[in-house]
Amino acid sequence: MAKIPVSMVVNGERVGPVQVDEYTTLLDFLQEYLNLTGTKLGCGIGVCRACTILVEGNDGALEPVRSCINNVGRFNGSSVTTVEGQAQRNSNGEVLALSPVQQAFLRNFSFQCGWCTAGFVNAATALIDDLRRRPVSAGKVEQVIEEALGEHICRCTGYVRYFRAVREVIESTPGLVKEAD
Amino acid sequence: MGRIILLLLSVLSAGFSGAQTPIETGRYLATAADCVACHTSSNGRPFVGGRPFHTPFGILYSTNITPDKKTGIGHYTLQDFAASMRRGVGLHGNLYPAMPYTSYYRITDDDIAALYAYFMQLPAVEYVAPKNDLLFPANLRFGLKAWNLAFFDRQPVSEIAGKSPEWQRGNYLVNALGHCGECHTPRNFAFALKRDESLAGNVLEGWDAVDIRPQALQRQGWDRASLRELFRSGASEPGAAFGEMFRVVKHSLSHLSDSDLDAMITYLLDGNETAAEASGDVGGNPGSAADNYPEGRGDFVAYCAACHGREGTGTTIAFAPAMDRNAGVRGENPYNTIAVILRGLPAQRMSRTNARAGMPGFASELSDARVAGLVNFMRTAWGDPGGEVTEDQVAKIREDLRKHGFIGEKK
Ligand code: FES
Ligand code: FES
Repeated sequence: MAKIPVSMVVNGERVGPVQVDEYTTLLDFLQEYLNLTGTKLGCGIGVCRACTILVEGNDGALEPVRSCINNVGRFNGSSVTTVEGQAQRNSNGEVLALSPVQQAFLRNFSFQCGWCTAGFVNAATALIDDLRRRPVSAGKVEQVIEEALGEHICRCTGYVRYFRAVREVIESTPGLVKEAD
Repeated sequence: MGRIILLLLSVLSAGFSGAQTPIETGRYLATAADCVACHTSSNGRPFVGGRPFHTPFGILYSTNITPDKKTGIGHYTLQDFAASMRRGVGLHGNLYPAMPYTSYYRITDDDIAALYAYFMQLPAVEYVAPKNDLLFPANLRFGLKAWNLAFFDRQPVSEIAGKSPEWQRGNYLVNALGHCGECHTPRNFAFALKRDESLAGNVLEGWDAVDIRPQALQRQGWDRASLRELFRSGASEPGAAFGEMFRVVKHSLSHLSDSDLDAMITYLLDGNETAAEASGDVGGNPGSAADNYPEGRGDFVAYCAACHGREGTGTTIAFAPAMDRNAGVRGENPYNTIAVILRGLPAQRMSRTNARAGMPGFASELSDARVAGLVNFMRTAWGDPGGEVTEDQVAKIREDLRKHGFIGEKK
């Protein structure tokens, strides 16, 4: 089985180059090589979005990407953020503060079994990042949440509490909502 | 009474068992003609119209064909109905040829009458579609008269000698009711069908409505069994229907009788019943593909293989079809292979137990050169290359898709 050298930045840290079987999915790479098990495998066919991680684009924008359907080669040289990279940590890796999205999810009891949560946290974080660049009017908030999270499947919560949590973050963070269109 | 007997005769000749009322016949014919696909807006009520059509001349909206007296076709007599179906003449002037009267003119009198009977008993719904938004001079309806004179070639469907009754029935279903040519036949500068290139393939809404002439289908690897499965379920071994064709299968083909589907296939294959590889033409060469297109192979492994399989064997048809001998990869025109890589595919639901996952597009990540390499790798490995795809070709398709809003701006 052919191996390829893989290097990327994961949660701000340089990884690699390591020799990895070229058919390894990014999800398996995160779990098996980096021991980052927060990213979950749900359907494995790109439908549920549980495995969503963030990839930084050239312009610094965060793009949610499903880690189960592409192999490591796609991410060679990229900068990737997983759920483990959301909280602020000190130099020993201890959590100092959860991100606003994580806090809102806890406050709203947004998740139950938690299998889908990492995907929701990452996609919601990408949405906040996008709104920071391109704010929307108050009337559009529900629509953009639906567009950003509508494809994510959760088998426990009924989605209302996710929805509420994300709206809370958007409405309480200055600069994400415009006065008028 | 006379009409009823005639209708019953036509029903029997269509291969049904048991008698049907004209309304039932009409419902079946409306399904075969796929009226609902165009005359329904997304999430709208069936047949009330309002679906937008983006043409090179502007936006057209389909009309209300429920029997509402004010906003629908409630005032239409059978003759009025026939005139609109066959000649594109509505009560309020000529219809735009988005209405496939250029195909429907071939529908028989009996079938027109049955369709009329069916539509007139539908619940009447009051609804007016948005106003057409057309560019000058296409916005002038009287121009349509001239268009009809110049481009509407009204040759009756003559029975072609030496063909079986099943073939003739297939011809009728494909070219009259099914109006397949409205998408699959290339159009000229005035948007009229090029009759001499009937069913030769045509790019529409950012997809190639592929060449479905017998030899092309054979080259793409279709045979009777795989076409039958495609028409029934939306997907089969050589590939899946997507875009408008998915809707055609969902609303029309999958509801047709076995004998009608078989008749259409008889007409489409026209004796070329054996798929190309079975007739000795080998489907590709993975070894030489990897040697000639190492970057293309690398991108296949990185972007495609997790779902479409290490050797291009796919996972399941519902999730990721095989690329090895895929009809799109094998077809002469690489348009769809390129377009799918750039724009991806939406998830599709045929029924509660038959749905397909979508595919992400990679337009913002893969350059024209990389897409060309990837397509060349796949076509060499599993297709039937017939000419290399160039970077320029990809660039042109990308530009076309971008211009029409099917993909975002280049990053
Ligand atoms: S596990 Fe990746 S989308 Fe479901
Ligand atoms: S919390 Fe269980 S799947 Fe979402």
